[in-house]
This record gives sequence, structure tokens and C-alpha cells, in this order.
Amino acid sequence: MSDADRPTETHADHEHHAAEGPGYATPQAAIEESDPEEVAYVMGLYVGTDVDAPDFLAVVDVDPDSETYTEIVDRVEMPNRGDELHHFGWNACSSSCHVEGLERRHLVVPGQRSSRIHIVDTKERRNPEIVRVIEPEEVFEYDLSAPHTVHCIPDGQIVISMLGNADGELPGGFLELNEEFGIDGRWDPPGEIEMNYDYWYQPRHNVMVSSEWAAPETYYPGFDLEDVEAGKYGRKLHFWNWEEGYVEQTIDLGEEGQIPLEVRFLHSPEAAHGYVGAALSSNVFHFFEEGGEWHAEKVIDIESREHEGWDFPVPGLVTDLLISMDDRYLFFSNWLHGDVRMYDISDPANPRLADRIRAGGYFGDPAPVGDRELAGGPQMLQLSLDGERLYWTTSLFSSWDNQFFPEEGERGSVMLKADVDPRKGTMSLDEEFLVDFGDLPEGPARAHEIRWPDGDCTSDVWQ
Amino acid sequence: MAVSHEVVLERSDRVETIDVPGTETVLDAAERAGIALPFGCLTGACATCVGRLLAGEVHHSRPPRALKDRHLEAGYVLLCIARPRAPCRIRVGADVQSGLVENPWK
Repeated sequence: MSDADRPTETHADHEHHAAEGPGYATPQAAIEESDPEEVAYVMGLYVGTDVDAPDFLAVVDVDPDSETYTEIVDRVEMPNRGDELHHFGWNACSSSCHVEGLERRHLVVPGQRSSRIHIVDTKERRNPEIVRVIEPEEVFEYDLSAPHTVHCIPDGQIVISMLGNADGELPGGFLELNEEFGIDGRWDPPGEIEMNYDYWYQPRHNVMVSSEWAAPETYYPGFDLEDVEAGKYGRKLHFWNWEEGYVEQTIDLGEEGQIPLEVRFLHSPEAAHGYVGAALSSNVFHFFEEGGEWHAEKVIDIESREHEGWDFPVPGLVTDLLISMDDRYLFFSNWLHGDVRMYDISDPANPRLADRIRAGGYFGDPAPVGDRELAGGPQMLQLSLDGERLYWTTSLFSSWDNQFFPEEGERGSVMLKADVDPRKGTMSLDEEFLVDFGDLPEGPARAHEIRWPDGDCTSDVWQ
Repeated sequence: MAVSHEVVLERSDRVETIDVPGTETVLDAAERAGIALPFGCLTGACATCVGRLLAGEVHHSRPPRALKDRHLEAGYVLLCIARPRAPCRIRVGADVQSGLVENPWK
């Protein structure tokens, strides 16, 4: 554990005692006190293929001094097939700094399609094990399905965004787990929102923001433009009263904000700024509080590109974005175009393109790492706490992969890495780093979200 | 008593035949026979288990929410909620799912 066990700053309504709970006292402490990541936990998938094996949690060796560097050193197989492991999270993060005895030790690993929720104990970092499984029927009892984003909340509990009701239709909501990983109930009053996807909270501003994908029955089978035209895909952000659990303000991002996916606040608990990537419109919005209200403005616009022989210009599809722990850089992926971008956000309202890497996708270099032919473009991102190593995987969602990059299922995903120079604002692809999910005994697997044992740039929240 | 029907499962690389009692879904019967077919939500919302009915008749025990009218007209069925009402021949496997929705930009 990397508990922040020293007295630090004090401010008006929140005193950092000699913190007993898990995590780091501040984002800056996370940068200063953390060691470089040695293992990565990565979602590995066989769902939706003819490979007769369950999805798994991969333990990837990312320690350059290790003999098994860039290898999958362990796989925790799920007990069932068909889960579509997607996003996952820790039972505790830096927001739980006052909860005595709590450890950042258990991963909460939901199945997006199955609605099954697995609890994985990572006490042995290189050899984690499943210790509890919440079956779909238990989840359906709360009229929820399709678990997505997992965040611990400051009192030791866990909240999971749920994209549909028990039938995979709207509305979605939030499920709350207790410290023993049993279901506590619904976190939200049902019906506050229709669509749901990702969320992030900022306790010092008493706010949570949630985004919108679509009903599970809509996005599960694949992406159909007919559904966009019918208004079945989301384009709104919801700003919640965090303590009371209701929506105070909804912002419709309009045509330029279609399918707002990942939402990230700046890490500083003082900050009332964040970003959301609108996948289909391929824009990034900056949201911020001013005059007691939340506002959202488009700050980055990715132009669609003509593809030779295709009928329509192709959007970039901004599928993931993250903010460096020092709140200085924004990174995002254009899955279809095949590039990763790095923006300087020192002035949050005016991001400045610092650098980009092309890899895979429809327009990127098809073979940037050795002779491994890529399938898919850069997708889920994760950054080292010190901001110097950016990693990504290439699978989005099994049925959407099949539609846009059919080779992803045949060749499997890769995990790649870029070296980042935060001082100069540059990135370079590490051509020595390749984790090949196509080369596994059962067959090629997809790879999705990435997490570090000591917290990361997409899961830690500060009080 | 519901009768059993013979269901032929066709894939690109092999053909298998199972008996499916009217009380059982095609997916459950296949699993019981040791034949692994793709599946996901098991409630008819996700279409991971989609097959294409080439002959015969099935009844969906819940609304097949993952399928649009055009899919139903084209003979797509969801094996997690489909029970045969006659001897059937069904195209199965992951590539059936891939055919449901096309790349809209291509």
C-alpha cells in the first residue's frame, strides 16, 4: 500500500489528519511518492467470439528490469463466459483517506453484457484471485443492468454506473455496494436520468457529472446510424448534487456533442473544470462552474476524414480521454482515425495541441511496432502517475470491433506505450514495447481498460 | 409435455445436431450437449448469441429486444431466448453477429 501517512495541508472544511486510509494526500503527493508502475491490470476478452473461454483479468509485467517485461504473467479467468469485461475500479482510492483500515486492494470487475460483478483480491499483486461474485439476478432486482464505471466513494462504499434497467432498456441508474461487496441498493432515485455512461465526482464542489451512451439494447448489438437518427444515442451531461444524489442541472451538448463518453475532472480537488469526449461528433468539451452554474463549451474539434472508396467522411471517434495527474495535459484517442493526441491544458478553456502519435486505425501506420499488424486504433488509455509513460489498448467493444475492425477478433489486441516528456510536451512511441493479446493459448483476445495497483489517472479522486 | 425438436447448428467449420426439448432454449440445450455458442446478457438485449434461422420455426420466450424488424424479417433469432417449435436449421457462431450492422461510413 502507499498510504499517505503524514499530516499535510489544512483548509476550510477538510482537515487531513495523519491519514489512515488508502491513497495519497494530494495529486502532487501521488506524483512524488509513487514508484513507477510494475504491473498493469488489463481486461482481456473472449466474449462474442468462437473461442470457448471466459474473459479474464490479465496481469501484465510493465517493469523494464523484469525478465518477463511486456508479458502477460498471470490471468484470472472469470467463472462464466459471456461477461464482456469492460471498465473496472478499485474498492478504495485517495478519496477514502479518512477511512481507517481500508486498503486499495480489491478490484471490482463488472461484466458489461452479463451484468455480473466480480470482486478480485490483489493482495498478491502478480497473482490476484476472485473472492466474490455478484450474480446478474441480484443486480436485476434493483431494476438495473449493464454495469460500467466503478468508483469508490469517500465513505468506503462503491458506486457503479448502470446503463440500463433490468431489461436492458432505459432508464439507467447507479448501484451502490457496501464495504463487504454486497449490494446496498440504488444510489440514485430512479428516473433522474434516462441514459447513463461514465461519471466522476468532485466532493469539494458537491458535484458529480454523468454522461450518456444509449440503452444497452441499442448499443449492445452494434452501432446503427438509424438509432442516431431516431435520437437513441445520448448528447447530454448531468450535473448531480453529490451529497443528496439528484440532478441539479442538465446540459444538452447538441449536434456537436453526440455520444459523450468519458468524463474527467481535473485532479485538483479545488478545480471546477473537466472535459468530456463526444465520440460520434468527435469533439472535446470543457465543462466548468461559473456564477453558480455549470457550462460546457466545445474546445477541440476533430475533422472527419475522407476514406478512399468509402461513401462518407469518417469521424475520429474520441473514445477515451484522460488528464495527467499534474492537471497539465489532456490525452485522448481517435479510435477510427488511429491517433493519440496530447494537449496542453494549462489554460483549461484553450487546449493547445502539443503532440500526437499515429498508430493503427483507418489512417494510422498499420505496423508501427515490429512486424505486428495492428487491428483497431488507440482506445483505452492509461498514464503513469508521474506522467511519463502513456499506455493504450485497441479494442472498444466486441460488437463494435466486429463492425469497424473485424480483424481485432482474429488477430487480438495489442497494448502499446509511448514515452512522454511532460517538460517539452512531446510523446514518442516505444517501439520495444508490445504486449500481444493475439498470442494466447486459447486464441486471440481483446484488451480493454488498464489500471495500476497504486491508483491511476482515471480512478483516483481527492476530497 | 413439450416435444423435442432436432436442431441442426451450422458453422463455417462444422455442423452439429442436438435435440432441444420445447422447455429449453437452443443455447441451453447446446451448452448441455457440450457445444459452446457465443452469448452475453442471456435476456435478449445484446444479440451476442444471435443465429440465423435457415429452416424451421422458433418462439422467443421474451421480446427479442436486440433485434430490429429488419433483422427479424431476415430470419435472425436470439438463441438465449429461442425455443424451437419445429425441426430447425440455424446458422450459428460469432460471424452471424458481425452481419447484423454494417460500417455506416464504408
